[in-house]
Amino acid sequence: MNEAGSPWNTGDKKRHTITWIILALIVVVLAVYPFVLTNRFYIRLVNEMLIYGLLAMSLDVLLGYTGLLSFMPNAYLGIGAYISGLFLIHAAPEGLWLALLAGVVATGIIALPVGWVQVRTGGLAFALLTLAFGMMFYTVAWKWYGVTGGDDGLMGIPQPDISLAGFTLGSSGDPTAMYLLTLGIVLICFLLTRRIMGSPFGAVLEAIRENEERASFLGINVRRYKLLGWMLSCMLAGISGGLFILYKGYIGPTTMHAFAGAAVLMMVLLGGMGTLWGPIIGAGIFIFIQDYISTMTEHWELFVGLVVMLLVLFMPKGFAGLVQFVTQLRKE
Amino acid sequence: MSVLATSVDIALNSLVLGGVFLIVAIGLNIIYGLSRVMNLAHGSLYALGAYAGYTLVSVGFNFFLALLIAPLLVALFGLIIERTVIAPMRRRSMVYTLILTYGLMFFLDGLVKYIWGNEPRFIDLPEFLTKTVPIAGTHYPLYRIATLFITAGVMIGLMLFLEKTKVGMILRAASHIPEMVSCLGINMRFVHIGAFLLGCILAGIAGVIAGPLYTVDPIMGHEMLISSFVVIVIGGLGSLRGAVIAALLIGVVQTLAEFFITDLAMVIVYMLMAVILAFMPLGILGEGRFE
Repeated sequence: MNEAGSPWNTGDKKRHTITWIILALIVVVLAVYPFVLTNRFYIRLVNEMLIYGLLAMSLDVLLGYTGLLSFMPNAYLGIGAYISGLFLIHAAPEGLWLALLAGVVATGIIALPVGWVQVRTGGLAFALLTLAFGMMFYTVAWKWYGVTGGDDGLMGIPQPDISLAGFTLGSSGDPTAMYLLTLGIVLICFLLTRRIMGSPFGAVLEAIRENEERASFLGINVRRYKLLGWMLSCMLAGISGGLFILYKGYIGPTTMHAFAGAAVLMMVLLGGMGTLWGPIIGAGIFIFIQDYISTMTEHWELFVGLVVMLLVLFMPKGFAGLVQFVTQLRKE
Repeated sequence: MSVLATSVDIALNSLVLGGVFLIVAIGLNIIYGLSRVMNLAHGSLYALGAYAGYTLVSVGFNFFLALLIAPLLVALFGLIIERTVIAPMRRRSMVYTLILTYGLMFFLDGLVKYIWGNEPRFIDLPEFLTKTVPIAGTHYPLYRIATLFITAGVMIGLMLFLEKTKVGMILRAASHIPEMVSCLGINMRFVHIGAFLLGCILAGIAGVIAGPLYTVDPIMGHEMLISSFVVIVIGGLGSLRGAVIAALLIGVVQTLAEFFITDLAMVIVYMLMAVILAFMPLGILGEGRFE
């Protein structure tokens, strides 16, 4: 799996093995976790971290690899969640996999024309366009009472059983079963995205990030690749949306607001962009801090804001940068 | 109400709304145009201005005196912010500035909630401004008329400052060719500080004006921030003349849309923004500048 470019593949074979061992260890710990710590609250907290981790990773594909900034990845989480939820309510209350699939496909169908318009621009214009389209979707979700439930959000989502090939894990309303489903899907998405980003396709995206003009001189159809990167990012966000609605059993328009989107941006930065695993850790740290501080004081915004500013000022490469620093220190 | 009265009502309302948009957006635009900082905390500075105005009025200051003092308080605060967190960001990529000012926005919102609490406030007006005036069959609040004059006054003052004074000249030159201004022996640091303070003052003025029009609450800056994004994008980033036209346009579109199809008013505004960005990225006058 070592073709080019990604930070995973720079090391030798030994480091490669170590990376796999660490990844396997983390997955085992995460899989055993709900059986050791049976507190529902903590299981659900880590579940939320994983879902937002997937969303943050989807933004990393766009920001860290393609060099395009989206203010509102959460709009596509919202679209995935609303469509999956509506599918469960109106079409098939027991069709868990079909609902997830419907969410992803619908997100892709909506993201395609949006992306087609957006890739015509770059830089700040691209970022502002994501804001315009995202807020458009937010307003639709907020105001279309008949379908989305408006302000109240989409409620009364059925809780289908999680079963695959005759084996049933449990109801999606059960925290442990839902957690394991999330873990499995996030892991698959992570490995798949890592594979894609390690392929020549990923290298092209990085070339566009580094120098768009030169990439186009090399005969790369920049717009087409930007569009493909955008689609990949949005569909990953759509999957996280499907998981979100199953996990929460509810989605409201505030999840899709621009200010919730900036939180995802923060998770990516906190974890370190351009690494794929960094943003997932970043999401974990962010949700932990937010949860911890909001139980301590009602003025959590004050502290979250302060933490963000300090991080940007003094630790701009995020958690991944810290890991890099430590491994380099050990080498010397 | 007659058709005439309704249309006068709509026309005046869109002017008032457009005026508030304009003052906030121009401030955001000046900061972007001069120092390439897209300030996501600008809406929170606007809210801070409104709260400063509220406190000044409630301790007994005259409303118009508060309109003068509150923006200066916001500017003083802005000076601290600029020196401590914004200035170190100049050498970094734009993404970091965006995230930093996003954190700043959270911090300021948290600060406002910490000091003034969550419940909405109202700025009390002097007795004579609470009356209404009959115009073409409708009774229009006098204060709303007054805001039109205040907005016009602020804009004329700003134009005079930029066109006629030496500092204004430096600022205009710096927005076009910063290297040249720097070569002429003018410290760009002061230009950046000046731009940020000017933006803060404008946000503060808009906050005090908007206080009696709408309610003063901790999230009042959020919708305003997004609306001013829309305004400066449609007018062209960094273009002041474009912003004037765009603010009035958005004021009219939003008021009309809210009157006729209440539910999806903002969808139209965002759609307009998307069309402009995709097909006329330099704004309606073609004067905008991107990185």
